[in-house]
Amino acid sequence: MSTLTPDHTIPTPGDHLRHAERIALLERVWANGRGLVGQLTAVNHTTIALRFIVTGLVFLLIGGMLSMFIRLQLSWPGLNVLDPERYAQFVTMHGTTMMFLFAVPIMEGFAMYLIPKMLGTRDLPFPRLSAFGWWCYLFGGIFLYSSFIFGSVPDGGWFMYTPLTDSTYSPGKGADFWLIGVTFAEIAAVTAAVELIVAILVTRAPGMDLTRMPLFAWAVLVTAFMIAFGFPPLILASLLLEIQRAFDFAFFEVARGGDPLLWQHLFWLFGHPEVYIIFLPAAGVVSTIVPTFARRPIVGYTWVVLALVATGFLSFGLWVHHMFAVGIPLLALAFFSAASMAVAIPTGIQIFAWIATLWAGKPWLRVPMLYIIGFFITFVCGGLTGVMLAFVPFDWQAHDTHFVVAHLHYVLIGGMMFPMFAGLYYWLPLASGRMPSESLSRSGFWLVFIGFHLAFLPMHITGLVGMPRRVDSYAMELGVQWLNLLSTAAGFVLAVGIVAILIDVALCFRLGRRGTENPWQAGTLEWALPHPAPKYNFASIPVVDDRNPLWHDPGVVEATRRTDGLLGEAVDGRRWIIGTGIQSAQPEQAIRLSNSTWLPLFAALTIAVLLGGFITSQYWLSILMLLPLIGLFLRWLWTVNGRETPLEIEVAPGLRLPTQALARNAPGWWALVGTLMIVGSLFASLVFAYFYLWLNAPAWPGGGATLTASTPMLAALGALLAAGVGAWRMPIALRAGHTRAAVIWSAFAILSAIACLALQLPAIADAVGAPQRHAYGSVVWTLAGFQALHIAVAVLIAGFVALRIHHGHVDAVRSLEARIATGFWRYVVAQGLIVWALLHLFPRFA
Amino acid sequence: MSAMLPIGLTRMSMPLVVWALHFVVVYSLQGLACARALWRAPVAGLETMTWVLWALTLLALGVIALFGASALRAWRIARAQTDGRTETSRLRFLTALSALVALIAAIGVAFTALPVALLPTCA
Ligand SMILES: [Cu+2]
Repeated sequence: MSTLTPDHTIPTPGDHLRHAERIALLERVWANGRGLVGQLTAVNHTTIALRFIVTGLVFLLIGGMLSMFIRLQLSWPGLNVLDPERYAQFVTMHGTTMMFLFAVPIMEGFAMYLIPKMLGTRDLPFPRLSAFGWWCYLFGGIFLYSSFIFGSVPDGGWFMYTPLTDSTYSPGKGADFWLIGVTFAEIAAVTAAVELIVAILVTRAPGMDLTRMPLFAWAVLVTAFMIAFGFPPLILASLLLEIQRAFDFAFFEVARGGDPLLWQHLFWLFGHPEVYIIFLPAAGVVSTIVPTFARRPIVGYTWVVLALVATGFLSFGLWVHHMFAVGIPLLALAFFSAASMAVAIPTGIQIFAWIATLWAGKPWLRVPMLYIIGFFITFVCGGLTGVMLAFVPFDWQAHDTHFVVAHLHYVLIGGMMFPMFAGLYYWLPLASGRMPSESLSRSGFWLVFIGFHLAFLPMHITGLVGMPRRVDSYAMELGVQWLNLLSTAAGFVLAVGIVAILIDVALCFRLGRRGTENPWQAGTLEWALPHPAPKYNFASIPVVDDRNPLWHDPGVVEATRRTDGLLGEAVDGRRWIIGTGIQSAQPEQAIRLSNSTWLPLFAALTIAVLLGGFITSQYWLSILMLLPLIGLFLRWLWTVNGRETPLEIEVAPGLRLPTQALARNAPGWWALVGTLMIVGSLFASLVFAYFYLWLNAPAWPGGGATLTASTPMLAALGALLAAGVGAWRMPIALRAGHTRAAVIWSAFAILSAIACLALQLPAIADAVGAPQRHAYGSVVWTLAGFQALHIAVAVLIAGFVALRIHHGHVDAVRSLEARIATGFWRYVVAQGLIVWALLHLFPRFA
Repeated sequence: MSAMLPIGLTRMSMPLVVWALHFVVVYSLQGLACARALWRAPVAGLETMTWVLWALTLLALGVIALFGASALRAWRIARAQTDGRTETSRLRFLTALSALVALIAAIGVAFTALPVALLPTCA
């Protein structure tokens, strides 16, 4: 890579010898290992992000191929390209692939690639977590597709509605492949959410305060929060359904007090925000490209941020609009109908900001801009049919017809795929160092644009006429066969277009014209990098004083390539980045990152074996795998920051910063906050399930079993509080320098927590009996198990920190790990109190 | 406001948190009314539940208005300062954003509550 990079640097006088040395050191420290081993152990964000993007594109091709079969089947009534069973499988896998294996991961890939480069730093704060996420995504995708080998492909639709997917109506392993594979792949989404939140909050370049943050970073920040709150309901739903299928619990089974609609609520509680989880990063791409090609800063920066934040919230209030036809009281439907229309306001604000920017600037029509125009046209159409569908009576009319298929493809392809291609072409010169061919890429665009509209526009009509979706054929009497034939033919044009684009992009890396730097004359920081970007990104961390630093002060390019700025000298041969204040972006801490390592790959592989054991009902294997898994994660945590890490380092001549183990805004602390948001949302979904089942069950608790407060229960409560006291005293003792007392308080917390479980679980078993008897027992046991799992993790953490204190890695000064442990314990105690009240007090009043 | 980190971003999103709470509470109470006949007795010509939902809406709007007013006040002060410091421009941005967020949240609450005026609790 270094041979490709021309050296533009002008070192300060007398410094030129040191400069070459420093660059060589940076190259060495940040390089991945050699050969295959180097690839397997890589954790660098550029490497991992490009993998996310390439893997996402491969899944786009696979999912697209499935859709070609679907279109062939529908091209004329009564065809038999796919028998009904295969058709259901292909429809399921097409939707699942596009949503979970293409749209979300590829946007994560864009975010992981761009965020550090746009923010002016060298890597994401948790490189091993990024690598782990990618392996989980890859193995999860392979897991899902291995169902083809075993001949039990999921066929319940990408929405997996119960009871269609329970063990009565989907006996084989198909649904299990879906539930386990998708949940496995989703690990990547939640880890990326934590990673990106922390990156955007604390690793921005000095001077890049909140008002100067690129809009793409705002979009990714909001998206990451949405993932943290939006994915857990789906993960919980998948867990509940898998538990029901594997162990015969009764969450969704009416005969035993369950409710199949619970699945739909949890699924769409995720499913609607999901649309915006995909759309917001794409909107961030648009907000980046539009100013560049309008050659002026965006109009209404504050308004766009407002729109992003508002969309992030409001999109959670719409989930029931996917359930207008299931028989919910009219007033409830009206709430969701209203909220569905309200969310059009922030989207409209963004669209007006983009148009105003183009209006006020001097637009320049290059290929990325072409895709943006395609996006405008397509997305606005999709938005309009969306507002139509938000009206309950219209929705009843068009429900489950191809009108909805047309709408959702207009929104998703228009809102996500066009901006994604725009971004692909826009940042291609940065990644490849070469320019894409203008003529080939324009033809690709027109094939996609024309193919798409000819394929999906007719579906509005076929849907309104009454052609049902999710069905493998339709009656000749509907008279829609010619429109369908047109859709199929155009679908193939679209497919050819996508393949042409991907070939174009791939060829660009080999054959493209060697580009000039910053070919679009953009203003954001990533374009200050040499093309292709080196693994360490910036030779010196830039200092920023404008939203478009490159337009405001072109000198920033040269400054970042010299090695006499921030972190120009690679300290102690390790990977370092700078942490800055959340609002002010003043330098606060030096953060040491991990080098290449096998840990992420091994951890993901262990999980794969564990899940493989589960799906084949070899539970002993799954339980056995817990040991290496816990071992790997403990090893992972053990190697974060030990006593060998310096307390402070010199990041520039005269500027010394404390390292993260001492800093208030340490990445580890914010990772805990992010993780607890995810865990809390998972817990809230479970509590929702409890109340939902209570509200809708004819008899509750079923079978006369009731759990109310009694003496052992009160003792369990006392033990929980005692554990809280231990966890609270531990860091206080540590900070006072009493390391022995800190270890003892940890042990006290551990023993109290174990006592709490030992008192509570037998009492529940006595009062409630087996979880299989009734949905009440199922949900009570799940709540208790959820809490027990958290106590187990808290116990592990307390033991780990006690061991670290004992070995001198954690002490009165390096107290970050103790702070994190106590934070987690606080959460576990609070959650335990809620679980306790829910299990033992609520039945008294219900 | 700018001195207290990270109060800025948290304070900024509070009105939308109020919107979310209002949404959840209104939706849940409506569910309880229909499934468990909670507060269905008529009072002054309307179901008690309708009155409760109205009261909650007014409460939510009131809280949002408080947030909005304080943001607006802070924005006016920040706008009046012309010292050109980064902190001032950051404060101006955050206060303007907070005021706008409050506005959007108020519209959201009003939009959500509108059906209460048009429909009976259970139909
Ligand atoms: Cu939706």
